[in-house]
Amino acid sequence: MAEIVLSGVTKRFGDFVAVHTLDLAVVDREFLVLLGPSGCGKTTTMRMIAGLEEPSAGEIRIGGRVVNDLPPRARDVAMVFQNYGLYPHMSVADNIGYPLKLRGVPREERAAQVRAVAAKVRLDGLLERKPAALSGGQRQRVGLARALIRKPTVFLMDEPLSNLDAKLRVEMRAELKHLHHELAVTTVYVTHDQIEAMTLATRVAVMNKGIIHQLGTPDEIYNEPADLFVAGFIGSPAMNLIDGRIDDGTFVAGRLRIDGLGRSTRESVVLGIRPEDMTIGPAGSGHGDLPVYSSELTGDSTLITLADGNTRIAVRADKTVRPAIDDVVALRIDPRRCYLFDAATTRRLAI
Amino acid sequence: MAADFEAPRISYATRRRLARVAETTILLITLAIIVFPIAWIITTAFKTPRDVYDLSIVFPPTVQNFVIAFNAPWNLGSKLVNSIVVSTVTVGIAIPIATLAAYSFSRFEFFMKRSLFLLVLATQFIPAVVIILPFFLMFRDVALMDTRTGLIIVNLAIVTPFAVWMIKGYLDAIPNESEEAALVDGASRVRVIFDVVVPMALPGMITAAVFCFILTWNEFIFALILTRENAVTLPVGLISFRTERGDWWELIAASGIIITVPMFMLALVIQRHFVKGMTMGAVR
Repeated sequence: MAEIVLSGVTKRFGDFVAVHTLDLAVVDREFLVLLGPSGCGKTTTMRMIAGLEEPSAGEIRIGGRVVNDLPPRARDVAMVFQNYGLYPHMSVADNIGYPLKLRGVPREERAAQVRAVAAKVRLDGLLERKPAALSGGQRQRVGLARALIRKPTVFLMDEPLSNLDAKLRVEMRAELKHLHHELAVTTVYVTHDQIEAMTLATRVAVMNKGIIHQLGTPDEIYNEPADLFVAGFIGSPAMNLIDGRIDDGTFVAGRLRIDGLGRSTRESVVLGIRPEDMTIGPAGSGHGDLPVYSSELTGDSTLITLADGNTRIAVRADKTVRPAIDDVVALRIDPRRCYLFDAATTRRLAI
Repeated sequence: MAADFEAPRISYATRRRLARVAETTILLITLAIIVFPIAWIITTAFKTPRDVYDLSIVFPPTVQNFVIAFNAPWNLGSKLVNSIVVSTVTVGIAIPIATLAAYSFSRFEFFMKRSLFLLVLATQFIPAVVIILPFFLMFRDVALMDTRTGLIIVNLAIVTPFAVWMIKGYLDAIPNESEEAALVDGASRVRVIFDVVVPMALPGMITAAVFCFILTWNEFIFALILTRENAVTLPVGLISFRTERGDWWELIAASGIIITVPMFMLALVIQRHFVKGMTMGAVR
């Protein structure tokens, strides 16, 4: 039963501001993902919650208790590390049982709990091994088991899947999702992988350069991006962001004319449109005729890049569409799927 | 030479054989240079005074020299005890202190950290002869002359900075993540050091301990000046065989063996741990 509240939390390393007056409330039992590019302050934020870094300013509360001055061991948080953070000289069983040993749990009880948790993460049969004799996925499961055995009030996970290969990552993702459903413990999860964020999160906090750009459900983050950074960061391939102006509800940029975008007039706006929300057709049948810059078949679809002067526009078209390079085609855009951003403030504009 | 390359009259197989012969010859010569003094010491130790100046390797062996050395007036036994006590206690105190200091230097940020660390290194730049007089005067005033305690204090001053440097190198190579995991798991900083850091740094600590032991064991100049009778160590004992009535080479050789054998055993230990230390770093 623990919500985590960060108010005005700042972390400076010398002159570098890693986290800038951050306000964040993690609701009890939710799975909150901190998402952002490397160096955005997400890991630092998590480490401050864990007590491994001291905030330069601000207050951190876990379950209503101010924890700023508490050492990590007094915060009742469990953490899973990117590089597993195992104890190489201990067996798997001792690794998992170490938190209980520190709490003075008698040997037999400890062994029983270790067996139970190991079974849950499918490590039974490996308990006598040393971490060096395990695969990456197994090591990460040891790290997970060591966190689970504590029954902590908060789980912290720092890019736990980033060292695993693609197939294992998908598997472990499903396990994490299931575990959270089963245990319902407040979880903060750091990642730079948007698929992990989208699939695991109750809510996602998109961070960049020490500030949170948007906090919302995966659906909101994807479909209602608050600003240019979120719009460009979420989605793969990335959303097209086209500089232009809007003239009585018609967006104008290079050879593009897109109408039906409200009634406003504004200089310097950015139009955002996802590759999958556009199609191409014969020249003259859409919002502008553009030459094909490249065309890539990805299997389930064709990724077509169009050139409008120096602007490149990516379109995800049906896999049967196979234009040749330099063909001139019409770009068809669904105006209801367009986003407009103020080029100066980067905030999204209402249409 | 160049002609050889253009028209190899000697086949490559022959050349390779010749190269191997040359290589073996060089190795044997080097080995002879290194081994000869040791062999001389070993044979001399078992010779009678009459045979000492004779270079023959066949002679009637005797252990008489060891018996003489361990009895009055030489009393090598008490010097051996002194050496063992001084070296063991020095290492026993130096390594725990050095480990904690090295850990602080490796993991914490504190005021003047870099300067302090350089200062630790700087102590190693001072030649012993420079500070031996102040030590002499100081020890005379506090009645530490000719005591094992005095020698231990001096050796600690020599050996601890060295151990700090060495152990810090090992600690720097240990990833911080395991320690942080232990902190979050519920360990105090002291628990972390004992449960996580020490087991991982053990090869480094043992290596440092062996080096410190060797340094202390072989330390000569301080022991020579600061001891007279009661706390004399083996290296100093060795030169007492050079008397006005001549040099007792067979006794010097015998004591030389007594000094060398423990070092030899430690060298074996250190070699094993060096290898272990290297493989440990390879595993993540």
